[in-house]
Amino acid sequence: MDAHVPDDALSQPGEGQVFLGTRGLPSAHPHAEQLLHMYRLSDPALSDLPLEALLDELLQRTKATLDVDTVAVLLIDENERELVARAAKGLEEEVERGVRIPIGGGFAGRIAAERVPIFIADVNHAEIMNPILREKGVRSLLGAPLIVDGRAVGVLHVGTLTPRTFTNDDAAILQLAAARAAPAIERARLFEALEREHRGAVALQRSLLPDRLPDIAGIDVAARYLPARDEVGGDWYDVIELPRGSVGLAIGDVAGHGVRAAALMGQLRTGLRAYALDGYEPGETLKRLDHLLQTIRGRGMATAAYAVFSPETGAVRMANAGHPPPVLISASGEASLMAATTAPPLGTLPYPTYVDVETSLQPGETLLMYTDGLVERRGEPLTAGLERLRAAASVSASADALCQRVVQTLVPGFAAADDVALVALRSEAIEATMQLQLPADPRVLAQVRQVLRRWLRAHGALPEDIAAITLACGEACANAIEHAYTPSRATFEIEAAHRAGTVTVAVRDRGRWRRPRGAHRGRGLMMIEATIDELDVRATATGTEVFMLRRLGS
Amino acid sequence: MPLAELTTDTVGRVVVARLDGEIDMSNAGEIGDALNRHVVNDSLGLVVDLTEVVYLDSAAIQVIFELREGLRTRGQLIRLVVVPGSAAADTLRVAGVPAAIGVDETVAAAMRKISA
Repeated sequence: MDAHVPDDALSQPGEGQVFLGTRGLPSAHPHAEQLLHMYRLSDPALSDLPLEALLDELLQRTKATLDVDTVAVLLIDENERELVARAAKGLEEEVERGVRIPIGGGFAGRIAAERVPIFIADVNHAEIMNPILREKGVRSLLGAPLIVDGRAVGVLHVGTLTPRTFTNDDAAILQLAAARAAPAIERARLFEALEREHRGAVALQRSLLPDRLPDIAGIDVAARYLPARDEVGGDWYDVIELPRGSVGLAIGDVAGHGVRAAALMGQLRTGLRAYALDGYEPGETLKRLDHLLQTIRGRGMATAAYAVFSPETGAVRMANAGHPPPVLISASGEASLMAATTAPPLGTLPYPTYVDVETSLQPGETLLMYTDGLVERRGEPLTAGLERLRAAASVSASADALCQRVVQTLVPGFAAADDVALVALRSEAIEATMQLQLPADPRVLAQVRQVLRRWLRAHGALPEDIAAITLACGEACANAIEHAYTPSRATFEIEAAHRAGTVTVAVRDRGRWRRPRGAHRGRGLMMIEATIDELDVRATATGTEVFMLRRLGS
Repeated sequence: MPLAELTTDTVGRVVVARLDGEIDMSNAGEIGDALNRHVVNDSLGLVVDLTEVVYLDSAAIQVIFELREGLRTRGQLIRLVVVPGSAAADTLRVAGVPAAIGVDETVAAAMRKISA
């Protein structure tokens, strides 16, 4: 049956009506009718309803069964030691106003405290704490406690607008309804509390992961986090901008699930980030993280891998604490697993050593790190999952597209038994010419240098060439930024090209060229002239172009 | 991540400021302000150690000249420390800094010259 749909017959019982499922019972007989009502109150389908629907259905049926004008459920708020009106029929204001009754006080409070049914023949001559009962003109009341494991969890009470002497039979029916409902209410309440906790844990987990990945010139990063179906976990990833243009890439997995694992994950992610920003090498960073983990109360264990990538040289240094091997994907899309680590997870052995392993990531190549939830399937060897990953991680349009395909292939439906984290870093391909469109903001200068140095190095420029061209380009860009007319929206453009040992860099802005003013700007122009072989400042149709040329090795 | 780190130390009556990283128009002004704050009235002078500076541009040089002017009105000296042949040394040379401001190879040498 569909328990959500109130049975009209039950809601408005008519004379001599025969109810569904009770054919053959003489309905005119009062005892038989009570039995039918009792049958409806003990309906096992009630147990399957969510709390709101359960309360609604219970109240509906109780009101009809006892033929009363009001019915209300109050539940004990465990923190406040008060009864809180939770659902009502004929007394809806009680819930709307959030009526609270101290346990032990008044009609409902006494029922909860003494755990016995109470009957009040005339409300006008009784101690009633709830003003709404009088306002609504309730005259007689009958209430019964909701009891679970000998403990009161609430009160169910009914009332009439005309004086009525409730009988022992009425009290028995109300107690039956209360006894039937109490465990279901408690179960639904616990379930709601668990759901709230789960939602809280998921929100916590999310808040502990990076909300946004840094935008770094010359590299393309992307990441995914998929929570487990039932519980939050302790997986994390991080992308860290390091001094001198290096980039840190971290991944980790705290053993276990739930809020504790997520909280420990948050501590470890912050710890790793702090050691990384202090400039420690990957192995030393993991060693310190292990040390940190040993000092955390009720500590757990975790696997982690941390790599430092230099976009300028392509060098990668990586250390691994018991974490699954990262994947390297070549520019042509061939994926290979890095060697598995023999180092222990964090928090498992005293005095661990984490060795730095060197590799390189050349333009067009991608490094992919992930947690075991991506590759582990129950009843299947790990090698099968790793092979699936290797096959899925091939040439992709971007780091994001790679993450997307890997997740789609290995975690169909995006629902895994364990949580999954992955993070990918791609060193962007280097072309013969490079074009950049940038906002006129001094903060872009550092990125320009980084991307230009990387491009120059790939084109065989020597350190002196790189330093000279970077300085000249930096001065031209500073000039373009300083002369931008509308600071918020203005952009400028850089175009670098290499042909037969000669590098040209053009910096174009949309402003009219202004004579360098003051010693400072004059010095910038002088520095450009001193570091390159040819300089030309041209007015173009849309603005100004500073054209610079340097013969490599000159 | 800041583009450049600044650590300062006072040795006797000389302030030694060590810079590490890159200096351009995005951070030169605030570095200049910080250096000014660290030099107190009874300091003899300021040593700016650029050994670990991998890039500086005309904005940084402008700040160095402004620092020199400010210190000079208080009767204080400024000296720079760079590694000969480094990118920073080349930039200073191209900008004509060594003709106007004393440049040394070590912090110890710069301190001796200020204290002398």
